[in-house]
Amino acid sequence: MLRSSGLFVSLAALISSPTVAEIGRIKSSIGIATVQRGTTHIPATSGQGLLPGDWLETGKDGRISLTFIDNTRFAVGPNSRIGLSTFEYNPTTERGSFVTQVERGSIAVVSGRISHSGRDAMQLRTDDSVLGVSDAEVIVEVPR
Amino acid sequence: MTLRGFAVCAILVLSGCAHSSIVLLPNENGGHGEVSIRQSRGIGGETIVSDSNTRATLGGSRPSIRPLGSKGLSPSEALLVSALPPAAKSFDLYFHEGTTDMIAQSLPVLDQIRAEIAKRPGADVQVTGHTDTVGNDSDNDALSKQRAHEILDLLVNKGFAHTKMSAVGRGERELKVHTADDVRNAINRRVEVIVR
Repeated sequence: MLRSSGLFVSLAALISSPTVAEIGRIKSSIGIATVQRGTTHIPATSGQGLLPGDWLETGKDGRISLTFIDNTRFAVGPNSRIGLSTFEYNPTTERGSFVTQVERGSIAVVSGRISHSGRDAMQLRTDDSVLGVSDAEVIVEVPR
Repeated sequence: MTLRGFAVCAILVLSGCAHSSIVLLPNENGGHGEVSIRQSRGIGGETIVSDSNTRATLGGSRPSIRPLGSKGLSPSEALLVSALPPAAKSFDLYFHEGTTDMIAQSLPVLDQIRAEIAKRPGADVQVTGHTDTVGNDSDNDALSKQRAHEILDLLVNKGFAHTKMSAVGRGERELKVHTADDVRNAINRRVEVIVR
């Protein structure tokens, strides 16, 4: 009961804010996998759109695969919490800025067009480090 | 095991648990890109990792860097990499001059696009129309948009949900072949479809 009303709220939130452009989309997920948007938790199901500021969360057997509009690709492993802190992209110039916070867990990243914009255009941040990713495939693991 | 050996193992295990790490892998074009590492608090310098199959352990004053070696990735890392979605695929469809009619040779490409969409769960389809440089800008903006919507409609008719796609027209702003103004060019009269 609570669950379905939560879903309803999240759908209503999506419909009422059509001006915010989608930055990416969930491709697949297994186990416990959610998108946290503000105080709302949305199931990370295939086709779910993503917005800047969303957090991806997985439980102990959870996984999420997703793509972004600049062709960046992520695979998020179990027990993870990953924030899509900043995502700005101009599809015409193919330039932008993308900051991902890896709070805990594991993530594989294939960087996309934004990472060609400049040295620090695509960053992965952990609590103590800033990683600048240029045209690379990289795995980041942050034990809790 | 000697006491000393045990102590070394314990330290390795502990440090393995406590510190974050990264692995730089070869990218799909056979290159390797690079990752720069610096501390958030701005102390210490910057370390560049640019050799693929390299592991860097974060957290110290400097990251410790070593090759992956023969052991390669851990099973959980290999699983993570195998879960990455496939790379985006791009298709071009071409049009008769001044129209939204596709040339016959592009019809099979439409089928390839449908097949690509069908095999990707949660597919994200971006349709972008273009023109050559014949005609004025506003006409070409309108024509490029009509071309994009024509393709969108053809894809929607085949059962793919409209809400999963977006269509825009770019007029003559993004020529595939650079030409002067008012030049007919069959390659520039196109719709690009990106399937993610």
